[in-house]
Amino acid sequence: MNSSSAEADRRRRFDRIVTVLHPDMYRYAAWLSRDKAIAEDVVQEALLRAWKSLDALRDDDAAKPWLLTIVRRENARYFERRRLETVDIDNLTASQAALLAEAPNEELAELREAIFELDDDYREPLVLQVLMGYSTTEIGELMGLKQGAVLTRLHRARLKLKDNVAQEERS
Amino acid sequence: MMNCEDYRHQIAADPTFDGGAGHLSVCAECQAFRAEMQSLNVKIAKAMQLDIPDLNIPELPTIDQANVVPLAARAPLSKPAWFAVAATVMLAAVIGFRMFGFGVSYDSLADEVLAHLDHEPYALRVTDTPVTDERLAKVVPADIAQPDHSAGLVTYAQSCVINGKKVPHLVIQGERGPVTILLMPEETVGMAEVLDGENIRGVILPVGAGSIAIIGAREENLERIEKSVVNSVMWST
Repeated sequence: MNSSSAEADRRRRFDRIVTVLHPDMYRYAAWLSRDKAIAEDVVQEALLRAWKSLDALRDDDAAKPWLLTIVRRENARYFERRRLETVDIDNLTASQAALLAEAPNEELAELREAIFELDDDYREPLVLQVLMGYSTTEIGELMGLKQGAVLTRLHRARLKLKDNVAQEERS
Repeated sequence: MMNCEDYRHQIAADPTFDGGAGHLSVCAECQAFRAEMQSLNVKIAKAMQLDIPDLNIPELPTIDQANVVPLAARAPLSKPAWFAVAATVMLAAVIGFRMFGFGVSYDSLADEVLAHLDHEPYALRVTDTPVTDERLAKVVPADIAQPDHSAGLVTYAQSCVINGKKVPHLVIQGERGPVTILLMPEETVGMAEVLDGENIRGVILPVGAGSIAIIGAREENLERIEKSVVNSVMWST
């Protein structure tokens, strides 16, 4: 196989993987960063890094956790570079507000805001479980946590959201 | 049988949890809590849905595959045995070049070390299954280091390539999760370089004529591990 043919095969493999998994990459990045514009930047960087590292992905069936791990690291690097670690819910940028504005109705808008306000430690495992379909074991592997710690974070996250929903209903 | 507290902890952590049937059958309050959590979970899933922008693949650099030697056409059977051996070696070289991503350049050793973590995310598993002593001895030759499990359970050991040189890549289970260790006897650094991210913390330490990289979770006590790893390294003595 000549080098241009190998390069074309490599590109086809890459396109096949990222076409399927791009929505998951974006959703994960958006809920990690809580900012649509940053999520798009993070996904772009992650795609570049994935392209450079593609030969290390031995099994395409493992592409999802591999890509999400890259997104996670790129998100961390993004915030490390820019030192934007906190979000003030009362003073959102347009790109942050856009993430909240997509909810289809008022009830979901309030719940989305409550998810938005969760600490990163609680929001991330919830996203991985609910959106990505990860088991608590898989979440632990991705986040470097023991399974017990994952269960505790998920438990606390849901109780916070439950309290928030109850408060909204009372008011 | 589970009590209410245990059951609610489980069901709030995972609304698909199907254990605790014995408790559930006799506890109406937990039945109601379970229904509430499952209903909440449906709403959470809906609230998390986002409009996905079109996939916009950035301009991808050409991966330099000039170093990949194309295999010769199949040799006739009359070729001597040494030819088959040479072809096998060449095939191994080709696979090696592809696996280790030769041709991709990095701005710094720190960049390459961090990229290497991306290459092998499956190494960073939380597990209590150690690698065998035989595996450890194979990956870490005795003249490089004499590691044991004293710094933490070694759960991954692999020979990898950093900056074109084969180095032992180990993962140990720290107190806050997996910790990556790269032993780089031929990689000289002038001074310690701190790797400081939102979720990770690490260091590349000069050790003799080489260096070691240690990277773990932000909250990990790396100093304890550093001391143990430095003590195990043989090339500086």
